[in-house]
Amino acid sequence: MSVIEMNHLTKQYGKSRGIKNINLSVEEGEIFGFIGPNGAGKSTAIRTLLGLIYPTSGSAAIFGRNCTEHPEIRKELGYLPSEVFYYDNMKVIDLLKYSASFYKKDCTKRIRELAEIMDLDLKKKIDDLSFGNKKKVGIVQGLLHEPKLIILDEPTSGLDPLMQQKFFDLLREENRKGATVFFSSHILSEVQKMCSRVAFIKEGEIIKLEKMSTLQENNYKRINIEGVSTISKEAFDISGVSRLEVNGTAASFIFKGNINTIMQRLSETELRNISIEEPDLEEIFMHYYVKED
Amino acid sequence: MNMYLHELKALRKSGGGWACAMIALAALFLSLYPSMVSDSADFTSLLEGYPASVRAMLGINLEYITSILGFYSMVFAYIALCGGIQAMHLGASILSKEARERTADFLLVKPVSRARIVSAKLLAALTVILVTDLVYFLVTAIIASAVATANYSLSMFFMLNLPLLFIQLIFLAVGLVASVFFSRLKNVLPLTLGVVFGLYMTGALLAAGSEGELARYLSPFQYFDSIYIIEHHTFELQYLIAGALIVAAAVSVCYRVYIKKDIHAV
Repeated sequence: MSVIEMNHLTKQYGKSRGIKNINLSVEEGEIFGFIGPNGAGKSTAIRTLLGLIYPTSGSAAIFGRNCTEHPEIRKELGYLPSEVFYYDNMKVIDLLKYSASFYKKDCTKRIRELAEIMDLDLKKKIDDLSFGNKKKVGIVQGLLHEPKLIILDEPTSGLDPLMQQKFFDLLREENRKGATVFFSSHILSEVQKMCSRVAFIKEGEIIKLEKMSTLQENNYKRINIEGVSTISKEAFDISGVSRLEVNGTAASFIFKGNINTIMQRLSETELRNISIEEPDLEEIFMHYYVKED
Repeated sequence: MNMYLHELKALRKSGGGWACAMIALAALFLSLYPSMVSDSADFTSLLEGYPASVRAMLGINLEYITSILGFYSMVFAYIALCGGIQAMHLGASILSKEARERTADFLLVKPVSRARIVSAKLLAALTVILVTDLVYFLVTAIIASAVATANYSLSMFFMLNLPLLFIQLIFLAVGLVASVFFSRLKNVLPLTLGVVFGLYMTGALLAAGSEGELARYLSPFQYFDSIYIIEHHTFELQYLIAGALIVAAAVSVCYRVYIKKDIHAV
């Protein structure tokens, strides 16, 4: 049985925003990435899945059940919203205890552990916390009942790199213990580090669903070079190169494939300068569209 | 139960504040009573100078004004107004605050149905109103006894105060149902004050005019006429039923709409 299942899930609101005919299933034990630029419909899909909004058509279920018809199924769910806001006048520990009270099990020990890992002061008032610290409250809140399914919407925004690392370790640990993880992001490298499969969403539609291993074989790099002399277009017109632009001594392109192939090719050219970067998502999306056309 | 307790905790301060304010208002008015009674002839003739419609608007009835219960029924009009504001504010904010303070993403993904959330919040609001009214009644009864110059019936005093609860229940329900139609209610106060004062003024004008019994249905403040209660020792049944119908309709619409509502991201 799939832990998450979306069937022809559609939500229309307004003119442009929303999601169209999303089909997706996430199996137990997976770490699944949901990736797309801002406003692509990631949050809408997640919110429909959680029962916060109602679909226009189609269905969404976790553990085979719809969240609005069977709200009790959400006891196995931990959710971290993209922006965390909590009852301002409460202390962190009171909020966490309130959260725990919904799950009918003793979470005190787990709260302490998580707070320790995330370096969170439980005695402070939520009001007085910085954005990053509020995010930590959100993380502890989402994990304290040891859920079997963890859904995170843009989890790392606001966390410093060290904390991101701890947080990802924490998620891996939960995953190792059997939890399924589903998270959305607009940062590809973040997803690449964590996920076993990834879905790309753009303008409300899933445009690609890939195994991470495939994606990793297909390392995407944006390469900008500046040659000593004029660069000929033919020199880099090899398979795996896309969006090649040559302008005199400068050239830029996106490379997908075995890094060594392109390194060899690069070494044949006398270079003055080079930069190799992670392409941003838009570029990869463009790439997909070009391929599909 | 956890949600109910959480709400109660969040509401107890404002509830206490309202009870104190209403008690202070009643105490202020009631403290004027002894001096008014001692000069009752002058006072009555002063009031007689007012046009009858103004007297009706202010809830002044010359026949009864010198008795503590009659005097209190004039005071009660303002207490009912306060109570109406408290209840409407409570109703309008208790569900909408989750969206306003952006905590809906926390509460609404917990393993409880939305109906249960509404019930817990409704119950907490009811508790706050009941406690406010009870405290208000006990303290004002003591004050009234202290200032009364003649014996008066405590049970009648209770009857006179009971409409406070009825009016509050109506406004609580109205507030609840009004709030669920907004996707995000930014500020509850203008809505509350607009509706409550609007209906209060409507009521006051109705009392002054001669539109008849049917027009009284327009304002909950006119459902429970103190003089009628003093004279007949009972409430006017048709208005009691009207109030109950409003509450039942508003609450059921509130449940239906809230359960089907989309909770959007911030």
